[in-house]
Amino acid sequence: MDSTVSVSKGVFLFPNGFTRTKAHKKKSKSLLFDKFFKKSTWHFAFKRNWDYIENEIKELHQRTYSILLNDIVNYVKSFYGDSETDGLEGIIPSATLLTGVNQPDHVSQFMALLQKIRDEVTPHVAMVHSQDAPTLKHLVENTVWQLMYGHEALDFDDEEFHDNVKQSKKLKKNQCTMKLLQSWYNSNYTNISPKKKKHRSSNRLQVVIIPDFESFNCSVLQDFVMIMSSYVSSIPIVFVFGVATSVSALHKSFPYHVSSKLLIKVFHSHSSPVYMNQVLEDIFLSHTSPFHLSGKAFELLTDVFLFYDFSVTGLIQSIKYCMMDHYYGDNVKSLCCEREKIEEAVMKLSSDDLESIRQLSSFRPFLEAQQDCETRIGLFEDDNFFREVLVKEMNKLHDYLYTFYLCVRLLLAFVKDIPKNIIGKSIREIYTKCAVECITITPAFKECMQLIHFQSQVKLAESIKSALKVVNTALQIFSPVKPLRSTPTKNNLNNITLNSDVGEGFVKTVRVHLLMFLRQIEHANTEATVLCNESEDLENDTENVPGNRYKLKEKLLKAARVDKIQSEFDMVRSRFISYLEEMFTKGLQPPHTQTFHEIMFFTDVGNVRKQIVGSPRGALHTALSNPVHYLQCTCCHLPSPDSVTDTLPDVCLAYKLHRECGKHINLYDWLQAFAAVLEPQDDETRQQDTTVQIRFTRAVAELQFLGFIKSSKRKTDHVMRLTW
Amino acid sequence: MDREYGDRSSGEDQNCADENQVNTPTRRGVRNRTKPKKYGDFLNLSPTKRKVRDDSPSTNDEDFEEGITSQKPTALFSNDDVEGQDIFKFKSRHTKHDLQNKVKAAISNSPKVMVSPLNTPRRKIHGGLLHSPMTKVSEATPKQVKDIMRKRIIREVDSDSNDSDFSGSSSDFVPEESDNEESDSKSSSSSSEEDEEHQQPKKTTAKIQITKNKDRAKAKDSEYIVTPDNYFLMNSTKKIATSDHTLARLKNLNLDDMGGKDIQMSAEHKNRIIELNQSYEQLFNRWLYVLSENFNIILYGIGSKRAILQQFQMQKLQDFPCIVVNGFFPSLTIKSILETIVVDLLENTHVPSNLGDVINLIDTQLNDNDVEIFLIVHNIDGVMLRNAKAQATLSSLSQIKNIHTIATIDHINAPLLWDHSKLSKFKFTWWDVTTFLPYTEETSFENSIMTQRSGALQLSSLRSVYQSLTTNAKGIFNVIIKHQLENLKLTHYQGLPFKDLYSKCREQFLVSSDLALRAQLTEFLDHKLVKMKRSYDGSENLVIPIENMLLQQFLEQQDS
Repeated sequence: MDSTVSVSKGVFLFPNGFTRTKAHKKKSKSLLFDKFFKKSTWHFAFKRNWDYIENEIKELHQRTYSILLNDIVNYVKSFYGDSETDGLEGIIPSATLLTGVNQPDHVSQFMALLQKIRDEVTPHVAMVHSQDAPTLKHLVENTVWQLMYGHEALDFDDEEFHDNVKQSKKLKKNQCTMKLLQSWYNSNYTNISPKKKKHRSSNRLQVVIIPDFESFNCSVLQDFVMIMSSYVSSIPIVFVFGVATSVSALHKSFPYHVSSKLLIKVFHSHSSPVYMNQVLEDIFLSHTSPFHLSGKAFELLTDVFLFYDFSVTGLIQSIKYCMMDHYYGDNVKSLCCEREKIEEAVMKLSSDDLESIRQLSSFRPFLEAQQDCETRIGLFEDDNFFREVLVKEMNKLHDYLYTFYLCVRLLLAFVKDIPKNIIGKSIREIYTKCAVECITITPAFKECMQLIHFQSQVKLAESIKSALKVVNTALQIFSPVKPLRSTPTKNNLNNITLNSDVGEGFVKTVRVHLLMFLRQIEHANTEATVLCNESEDLENDTENVPGNRYKLKEKLLKAARVDKIQSEFDMVRSRFISYLEEMFTKGLQPPHTQTFHEIMFFTDVGNVRKQIVGSPRGALHTALSNPVHYLQCTCCHLPSPDSVTDTLPDVCLAYKLHRECGKHINLYDWLQAFAAVLEPQDDETRQQDTTVQIRFTRAVAELQFLGFIKSSKRKTDHVMRLTW
Repeated sequence: MDREYGDRSSGEDQNCADENQVNTPTRRGVRNRTKPKKYGDFLNLSPTKRKVRDDSPSTNDEDFEEGITSQKPTALFSNDDVEGQDIFKFKSRHTKHDLQNKVKAAISNSPKVMVSPLNTPRRKIHGGLLHSPMTKVSEATPKQVKDIMRKRIIREVDSDSNDSDFSGSSSDFVPEESDNEESDSKSSSSSSEEDEEHQQPKKTTAKIQITKNKDRAKAKDSEYIVTPDNYFLMNSTKKIATSDHTLARLKNLNLDDMGGKDIQMSAEHKNRIIELNQSYEQLFNRWLYVLSENFNIILYGIGSKRAILQQFQMQKLQDFPCIVVNGFFPSLTIKSILETIVVDLLENTHVPSNLGDVINLIDTQLNDNDVEIFLIVHNIDGVMLRNAKAQATLSSLSQIKNIHTIATIDHINAPLLWDHSKLSKFKFTWWDVTTFLPYTEETSFENSIMTQRSGALQLSSLRSVYQSLTTNAKGIFNVIIKHQLENLKLTHYQGLPFKDLYSKCREQFLVSSDLALRAQLTEFLDHKLVKMKRSYDGSENLVIPIENMLLQQFLEQQDS
């Protein structure tokens, strides 16, 4: 296919049978990718689960934005409300929304704002991005056009109507000016009788949203504000600025004569780490999520967030990618779904799929745990029996997840107030620790327990209360699931008895225990029955006599010998802590100890890391300095990464030689070195042989193409190195 | 220090000292300490509790440090990452022997080298071609003297390169002329060997030399943090410390049959590369899957990735409209990409001027027609796409739900093209597709450093234009060439002033009037044979923008 090589063209079109008119007739809806994947159950499961997560995220967005957006909308509404004489002569009311640095994330926020204003305040909203408005002309055109027609473009999806209206009424963008807006506004709103006007007073507001304030050209915006301010007496205009950095950006880019035309009120939005924690905690780190990340994978994604981009949408996309990778091409993964669907999914599995489940590494310990020889054989031979066991185990896994996430939250409740944040102070931090290893045997956990041991009565009671809250909410979430769940568990009654240490039963016992301890602690007597009153007197004596070191020493020794008499509270507290330890050891078993955890947990971090983060430079360097890594050939094994041999590919050889040079490289010397490595015997043949020269020329051209060198004008036949 | 003083003195003195410190808080460290000291004063009243006092500040300090320790990424980096220092470390200054040593090590390692006595004399004879001060030692001198001389020179050069700028006269690459001689002389002058060992490796000691080098490299690594001065040392000197050799020394300078030959590659490599590339075909389905979820794909790694993408297009995208963009094409414009989509594919009459409008238009029309198109960009980091506007356009295009982008990058700094907002629009997934295939098409448009210098193309085009000239015009051109070559030594050659040219041409009866000469010159200017420069005094100077060496060659060809 050399059709894409041309000296006169850089872009090539392969319509592959597509023409606009033809495609219009046959509506072949979404034939594209489904053709490849539609039949597979894993794809179906993935789609369903991702849709579920996407919905959750959308809801979460709405919840998090709603307060802020309501504030802004109310603020916007408050202008031009009752009377024309608001006392704003040439002053435009404006809301400044401080969004925080990450702009890509805020697109959805502004879209939500736009929608909300359109729904609740006025249909005339314009949102202009900096890329659409490089000059004042474009800015005004865009704004005016959107104010006049923006809502129609969205409202009327019916095509015929759409076309008719458009053709007859709509002006071209380049005809839009402020004058036009004014006359349009006058004809639409001011001519209406005052009675009508009162009814829909906010309806005529003109809201202009500028989401990326910093990216605009300062002077363009200044002029725009000045122009708008001259019209504000006749048209009610409100600005909304989205500022990424701080309010000072607004002041810096607007001189006094401009900013005096603005009435600015500042709104703050959440910072992105807070938002990320919220997304993770509410959606992914809960047992309701159909898909779970292993500790390592989770760590990777949060690291990418915290150290690279701070973008929550990016994080969600990476999680989506992990999920895609998890499901890809593996029907077994269709078991990774909600509890109610497990049975159905298990029944759909073919015997091949079952076989691949038997291959899972976590199946072996499970098999070994079975005492009964017959069950062991049955697990292998009898698919139906295996299916039954599988359903049972998957349910167990769900129960485990439920308790695990609850315990993580409980641990947070107890740990978040203790100093130093040994384990962490957010759910995600604790989760990573718990998911990687069994946390109860780590020194950090022990230290935490130690520190809880020093907590006061009030503090402890408080944290127990917050823990109880966690338990209660968990039970509430759980309860609607219960009736549904009872059907599958009925079939294998024998497992219900085992279930007391996971799942709902566990939570209930935890609740009972917590309540008991709370009562005990609240009523416990803190006063220790102090027996060492005498010694205190003694202390006073010694203090009065300075320098009596001997006595002091004696006193200290005595004090050390006296056993501390525990108060009632102390006793309750230590009992409580031992209970906590016991409970957490039970509940915080790391996921990889569970049978069939591979189905629910995504573990293949290494692979995904390459795709999400990518390391183009690393790949280039490895390929050039150690081609064996990719080629797997026998000839190029190098004793050290720096050494060279004549068998290396030409580019690699040239690259290695160029690394030995300084900033400037003499082409001739480079060529000679290159030739000497390839044909060490003979100078004469080297001179004659043009192939070496051609090979070198090509290698140099490729290195130039790769950006390692560039030609230099400083000296003839020299090139400059672009890396150190 | 302050604290000790406080311990010994009475309370009053300490108060004074404290005041002093509060008044003159010179350093932060001093200021920090005042607090525990005051606390200490208070405790000083009861000398029995001194011990407590000693402990408390230290624990405070600990707490403080704990708070400071910043969080480190844990999962981002793994052991199999390429170490950053390997690519980006500040190298200490390169000496001119680095290249030479490397080559020597390579040669001595490779089994090809047979120490044949026949080799030596021949090389000595032809070695003269590569002049360098070291090889100038005459043949006649006895070997012992020669060795001593060489050692001395080497030592001198070495010490030179260590502490001062060495002059750029000697070669980076000194052909190993007397290698074999030395091995011959091994028996006779074994004492001199040890001295030489560090500089001139012999076959026997080659292995040791390599390990030595490695050790030195290690040492460099460890001092990396301590001496970033290396960077400034490297860049401080204006002088280029390389040899003065030019490509003009090569016998066959102009290689016309560049494209004709295939790259020589060992059979094993060929097979391996084919295997490697076939392994990537297994990724195709996965790519489709990734694309279907509205991610885009970017391929990186050494080697041309065009073949892989073409394969992908052939196998999987036969039923869908595709747009292939050659990012390496030197006169590619972003507009032509948009035009292809909007006009050629969607059959509109024109492309709206505003980017946002175009994107909206494409988005709605693709949606209406319910069609998904694939945008294949070979080298999204190509020269013409290396600007913010092009990348913004591409990212906005990629963001459209019905457009799926597959792009490749090759340049090492390609990731710098995108800021986070563009990246978030692109939604790339990164794939390492190292092919080791030659960049034939990609580099074909590029002015290769080597071929540009040899200028075969320039020469032939010059010739063809020249042949179409009239005899008088030829004469005028010759005058300019000759003048330029005569003044070849001038560092700031301004060009031939128009007046001088006119008088010279009149002398040779080439033109009769000023106007006629100007008419001729416009023709040259149009063909870019000659450039007109205006000097400060307003006179016009004529320069031929072609290497002097080429001009010389051209003249010789014309004469012959």
